[in-house]
Amino acid sequence: MENILEVKNLCKKYDNFALKNITFHLPKGMIMGFIGENGAGKTTTIKAILDIVKSYSGEIHIFGLDNRKDERKIKEDIGVVLDDMFFPEILTPNDINHTMKGIYKNWDTKMFYDYLKEFSLLPNKQIKTFSKGMRKKLEIITALSHHPKLLILDEPTSGLDPVARAEVIQIFQSFIEKDDCSILLSSHITTDLEHIADYITFINHGEIVLSKTTNALLDQYGIVKCTEKEFKEIDKKDYIKYRKTKYEYEVLVENKKNLKEKYDIAVIDKITLDDLMVLMIKGEE
Amino acid sequence: MIGFMKKDLAMMKSNLKLIGVLIVVYAIMGLMGEMDISFILPFMSVMIMISTFSYDNYNQWDAYSISLPNGRKNSVKAKYVATILMILAISIITTILSFMISYMNTKTIPYEQILISMFGTIFGTLLVLTFMYPIIYKFGVEKARIGIFLIVFGLVMIGGFLSPYINLSWIVKVLSFLEDYLIIILIIIAIMMVYLSYKISEKIFDKKEF
Repeated sequence: MENILEVKNLCKKYDNFALKNITFHLPKGMIMGFIGENGAGKTTTIKAILDIVKSYSGEIHIFGLDNRKDERKIKEDIGVVLDDMFFPEILTPNDINHTMKGIYKNWDTKMFYDYLKEFSLLPNKQIKTFSKGMRKKLEIITALSHHPKLLILDEPTSGLDPVARAEVIQIFQSFIEKDDCSILLSSHITTDLEHIADYITFINHGEIVLSKTTNALLDQYGIVKCTEKEFKEIDKKDYIKYRKTKYEYEVLVENKKNLKEKYDIAVIDKITLDDLMVLMIKGEE
Repeated sequence: MIGFMKKDLAMMKSNLKLIGVLIVVYAIMGLMGEMDISFILPFMSVMIMISTFSYDNYNQWDAYSISLPNGRKNSVKAKYVATILMILAISIITTILSFMISYMNTKTIPYEQILISMFGTIFGTLLVLTFMYPIIYKFGVEKARIGIFLIVFGLVMIGGFLSPYINLSWIVKVLSFLEDYLIIILIIIAIMMVYLSYKISEKIFDKKEF
């Protein structure tokens, strides 16, 4: 399958943090959920992909092209939403339309105004009068309105209420279906990702912990909830991490099927992305 | 680049209205024979343009601008081009007004003096841009404001302190020698210094991380 985005051995060093050999790929037509706790390196990775941070090593290819050498060509086909607010507050959606018309060759004014109408955003109101959710919607609309082939979204649903979140996710899904495009989406709201992401890439302390299809992840991984005695019977090789709670042990396992056969465990709970993150970050080995 | 310029001009909309009002005030004051404030307006346009850096900075626009096609280069180029166009447009408007006021007024100002005043103002405003923009790109608007104040204050203090000991008559001699070519020389110097300033700003922004 053709890869839209390939990141190989990406390294970036700060005084108190480093990205270490970040490697993953996003196939065409897929949505990748990029998860990890605050400060894990999600935003830095995204900024390196977009060349917003400099002096990093490794290779980043987008549409098969080098992200630095072919920057202009690549960015014509990328839609971006960054974590922090980025439109000057004194501008209006009308101003954004005029601005983007002069920046993107494929800017679609009709599409932009259709989205504004759909999300009930007034074109002549200054952004400073918008709520946080409305601003986020405007940023998403802007990212979509030049028919990008790849969306790179850093926390696009943060600050949105559940209804707005559902609307936005619906838009992402129809975007994928309509244009056979791809999305790299970092989010803390992992329940959203479980519904829409085809791939999950998990980053922790600047390292990729896993990068798998969501189905494989949710089917293969599981949580064994057991007593201390039962936990001690499980070989260290057969689990990834465990956590001792007030009443029981929660054990993260990679291969539910194998474990069931080997230890005669009756119930292994299905895992959620939240469980996975908590156990991977807080659990012991 | 056009898109970035449109964004900067859109951000100045409300301030441009203020300049419009000041042009009217200037015209009225001129007709009444009061003092000439035309030189203030181009300087104000640079100050208004500098305020767009504050908005950009506050809303993290710079990081986003880099995610746009050719964003690093175009956002810097747009700031320079938009500022120069603003300076030229406002200088031309105030000069035309000065000609009209001079024509209508009894206390006429020689046309030559109006033109020299326009070129002097444009040169002075471009000088501000030349020094301010690279400092803003390097240190941000707030630090740049303090920095430029300290530089100007320092230069004035040093100049004041040294003036009794320095003979400045040679400058007057050089200027009077170049009198016929002064405007052409000023234009060449202005183009060179603004280009150099632009290249420095471009280099600074090219290396910046957000």
